[in-house]
Amino acid sequence: MKKRNLAWMMAIAMAAVSAAGCSGPGGSTTTETTKAATSETTAAAGETAPAAPAEFSYPMAAGEKLQYWCELTTTVSANFSNLGDTPFGQGWQKNTGAEIEFLHPPTGQMKEQFSLILADGNLPDLMEYNWTVDYPGGPEKAIKDGVIIPLNDVFAQYCPNITQYLAENPEIDRMIKTDEGHYYVFPFIRGDENLMNTIGLMVRQDWLEELNMEVPTTMDEWHEVLTAFKNEKGCTAPYSFEYTNGQYLGADPFVAAYGVNRSFYLGSDNKVHFGATEPGFKEYLTTMNQWYSEGLIDPDLATLKSDQISAKITNGQAGASMGQAGSRMGTWTTAARSTTPEFKLVPAPVPTLEKGGQAEMGYIENPFSGRASVAITTSCKDIERAARLMDWAYGEEGHMYFNFGIEGESYTMVDNYPTYTEQILNNPDGLPVSQAMSAYIRGNYNGPFVQDIRYLEQYYTMEEQRLTPGVWGQCNGAAHTMPPITPTSDESKEFSTIMNEINTYRDEMILKFIFGTESVDNFDTYVKNIENMGLERALEIQNAALERYNSR
Amino acid sequence: MNEKKLQKPTLSYQLKRDWIRNRSLYILVIPVLLFYILFHYKPMYGAIIAFKDYTPALGVKDSPWIGLDNFIRFFKSVYFGRLIKNTILLSVYSLIFGFPAPIILALLLNEVRNKRFKNLTQTITYLPHFISLIVVTGMLTDFSMTSGLFNDIIEFFGGQRSPLLQNPNLYRTMYVASGIWQQVGWGSIIYLSALAGVDQQLYEAASIDGAGKWKQLLNVTLPGIAPTIIIMLIMRVGQLMSMGYEKTILLYNPSTYDTADIISSYIYRVGLLEQDWSYSTAVGLFNSVINFCLLILTNKISKKFSETSLW
Amino acid sequence: MKIKRSKGEQTFQVFNYVFLTLIIAICFYPVWYVAMASFSNSNLLTQHTGLLFKPAGFSIDAYKKVFQNPMISRGYLNTLFILVVGVILDLIMTSLGAYFLSRKRVLFKKPVMLFIVFTMFFSGGMIPFYINLRELHLTNTLWGLIIPFMINTSNLIILRTAFESIPESLIEAAQIDGAGHFRILSTIVIPLSKAMLAVMVLYYGVSIWNSWFWASAILRNREMYPLQIILREILLSNDTSSMTAGTSAMDTEAIGMTIKYATIMVATIPILCVYPFLQKYFTKGTMVGAVKE
Repeated sequence: MKKRNLAWMMAIAMAAVSAAGCSGPGGSTTTETTKAATSETTAAAGETAPAAPAEFSYPMAAGEKLQYWCELTTTVSANFSNLGDTPFGQGWQKNTGAEIEFLHPPTGQMKEQFSLILADGNLPDLMEYNWTVDYPGGPEKAIKDGVIIPLNDVFAQYCPNITQYLAENPEIDRMIKTDEGHYYVFPFIRGDENLMNTIGLMVRQDWLEELNMEVPTTMDEWHEVLTAFKNEKGCTAPYSFEYTNGQYLGADPFVAAYGVNRSFYLGSDNKVHFGATEPGFKEYLTTMNQWYSEGLIDPDLATLKSDQISAKITNGQAGASMGQAGSRMGTWTTAARSTTPEFKLVPAPVPTLEKGGQAEMGYIENPFSGRASVAITTSCKDIERAARLMDWAYGEEGHMYFNFGIEGESYTMVDNYPTYTEQILNNPDGLPVSQAMSAYIRGNYNGPFVQDIRYLEQYYTMEEQRLTPGVWGQCNGAAHTMPPITPTSDESKEFSTIMNEINTYRDEMILKFIFGTESVDNFDTYVKNIENMGLERALEIQNAALERYNSR
Repeated sequence: MNEKKLQKPTLSYQLKRDWIRNRSLYILVIPVLLFYILFHYKPMYGAIIAFKDYTPALGVKDSPWIGLDNFIRFFKSVYFGRLIKNTILLSVYSLIFGFPAPIILALLLNEVRNKRFKNLTQTITYLPHFISLIVVTGMLTDFSMTSGLFNDIIEFFGGQRSPLLQNPNLYRTMYVASGIWQQVGWGSIIYLSALAGVDQQLYEAASIDGAGKWKQLLNVTLPGIAPTIIIMLIMRVGQLMSMGYEKTILLYNPSTYDTADIISSYIYRVGLLEQDWSYSTAVGLFNSVINFCLLILTNKISKKFSETSLW
Repeated sequence: MKIKRSKGEQTFQVFNYVFLTLIIAICFYPVWYVAMASFSNSNLLTQHTGLLFKPAGFSIDAYKKVFQNPMISRGYLNTLFILVVGVILDLIMTSLGAYFLSRKRVLFKKPVMLFIVFTMFFSGGMIPFYINLRELHLTNTLWGLIIPFMINTSNLIILRTAFESIPESLIEAAQIDGAGHFRILSTIVIPLSKAMLAVMVLYYGVSIWNSWFWASAILRNREMYPLQIILREILLSNDTSSMTAGTSAMDTEAIGMTIKYATIMVATIPILCVYPFLQKYFTKGTMVGAVKE
């Protein structure tokens, strides 16, 4: 090869290529697709408008297949590769008459796939996601970006069930709107207070009895208990929990003990606060660092995943944890009792600093948290069909179906109480209750419907599980839970830019403080850094949003 | 090329002659060109979203132009310095330790007289290359736990158990070492073949001159495989900044961001978890440009000091 | 070779064997550990510390579970499809490109070469690439994992070098006989480059086998998942629930640990079995590449 010659030609080729790129085939294709998409939407609008909802009844007449994107929860994916294959999915389609093509991202890759789907603007008809919290910039931005459609007209025209529900529950109606008054999703709603505090601390009761100790209620007592577990019971990880699960981090009762939160919370002054920079948080970190160095917290904290924790709890390497009463406490207990019959986990309340009294903070969700709520995207051609499909779940028939499944198959009415059958509670194929339920209902995980407390009453089969709502609810947490506020679409970009930086830094530093790689004495520097990233501006935006929310 | 200069034919004549002679050849290459246009150059055009506030509903073309804002944001970002430092350090360590490793292995293997032992070593050292990244990182994560294999070994030698993947100071070691483990055997193949190509007579001549093994290595072997080494080195340096995100996102966690977070994993997080597509593309573009400059630079340097170069 | 060896040389030989044996051990032991762990009894395995040379207890329950998992076999089938179709298309496309670039006296050869090499060091990035895939309707289909990755530029260059080493006279003779380029490529060049093509099969095969990111990005249907995505769910999201289904809770815990190892084995053994057969080719093949480059 002639070296010099080639280098020269390369430069030319580069220039030529970049010029060609600008006017080349790339450009024209994009325009075509966009045009095609626009014309489709307009055509669709033209079709759906005249359809009068005068006499409507399910099931709908056959029509176009709807694409429905959602995460497939592990209790389903254990036995089915598609929600449409489950009895639930099939019945849903049969009852509503809508044909659905379910699309799912791989486990743990939901956010990634969501971003990519959105990036090209060619969307499935219906998307189940946390549009309130996880769409950068919030729902109003999603509407402005042309991703989803506002649902006010849709509700009015095609959704008698949800309209009625919202009329009966004005406080929920307020939650699921944006400041501009737009409805944007078919929401997941927890239909009872006891469904809102499903995550909390749990501790080995059989060990406590053996060691002559009480269920700990203060941080000092916790320290004693965990130390005893370590010394007397030989635990290598006395307290272990799924640190990599974001939901658990937000719910952490040990943070709540210090009257703060990892992220935003509603202060007693009715203003939004950022917990991770407040003095209480420093105390929390100091304690955690001390516990960690004393070997009371699982040393592998940052990399732990659920099955490792299950193993540790059930084989006695850990004696206390945090999680749900159903999928954690229940599963672990059943598993451990086969080898350790006396194994018993009991719930512990949010700890306090002083003995007696009740914690001020604590994890209590809003009835509407944003999670697993379904929006209709701008790519949807048959909006009426999509709306009708979704609205069904909020009616009487759909409500029973989503929570209890098929009458005669998954539940029967006993004294006017929907009782799960053996198929669910004692599955002939040996499926655990959670998996058997997931085949028939969505009541045991999130989805676009109103969750019924009667599901939980039967799902909790153990005495100690039934104690959980009472014990975990012993706090004033509800007063501090952030309402589903949303920034304006103008501020949203700025807000998400600031918070992305802050959150990355915070997550990193918290672990460093706990592990002792960074001394807690440097907390002030940490706070200063976060302030420099624009915390004040973020709080300003949040407080303005809160004001708008309160005046809705 | 030389004939061409002698004849000095006109361009149109050249084109015509070329078309007559190579028409069917050009037809053969059309699918290849189409492939590159569709899957390389078209996305390059798409990268102009780096200069735009990309909104999918508006499309690549109609999204508003914001110029260099995204780049400026990256340069001003608190993470800018750390990302550059981590990317460079991780690459440089991979290069310093990862690059000579297969050469050394090849040299050692070349000295092995026992054919069966040589074959066995080759077969086994190639083996990790066939284990997928997902599995390798999965094993690594498991082994690094406090109760994992690595800690068993550390304890056996009197060390203290600790969670290895949570220690930012160990992250680079783990990353680089696992990389070497996976690629050392495979990487040695090319050097082994280069070694096989070294003229045996040179060795004989050298030993007649009384040169020992070490002298032979310096004077015969290394010069013999130098062109291969240099080509491989240029390729590596040219991709110095293009560390992939796959291994990083499978291995890191917030407690090791300090040393683990590199440009490509940042692009991944910003683009896919925070949905800041334009910004993410801008960071990627910046990275590509640096890469390109590095390549040209190393090629120049190599041209100056040795005869070998990539072009 | 019956040259007398000096003492230094002998020490070196000894050292060399010891050192290489150590390397063998390091390369092999993790794999051995996983194999042994997969046959272990999970409870004994959790209690076990230190090196593992034989299974701790013996149980094949984990394997039973892995083979019962329909996702694994489906994943295998999908991967096999991508692998077979992908490698064939990759070879065809790469050969076409390499053949063009290996011909002499072609006016536009150098511009084309630059056009191609440029892409090795400059790319549009992840998001534009994805948007492009979607525009070409290559999402949610296995073709999206095949077509956009048909040519790897460094492989193309290696193959070109191999093609260049074929004696020009052979090709000229065929041309005189009236053979077109396609005939020459398929009847002369390809048969003469078998060793190199075997290397290509291996290179492309391994990269297809390893790839997971784009699969997780573009597939929305679990039935299409290639094996690596399923492995990722099991190994990194620690989602063993799909395999512990149908067992009592006790078994679930008992197998949980070993299932991971068994999955690794099941997913790795086939490719390990294939490669020794290709080994003799690629030693020959890379030689051609190396010498000429």
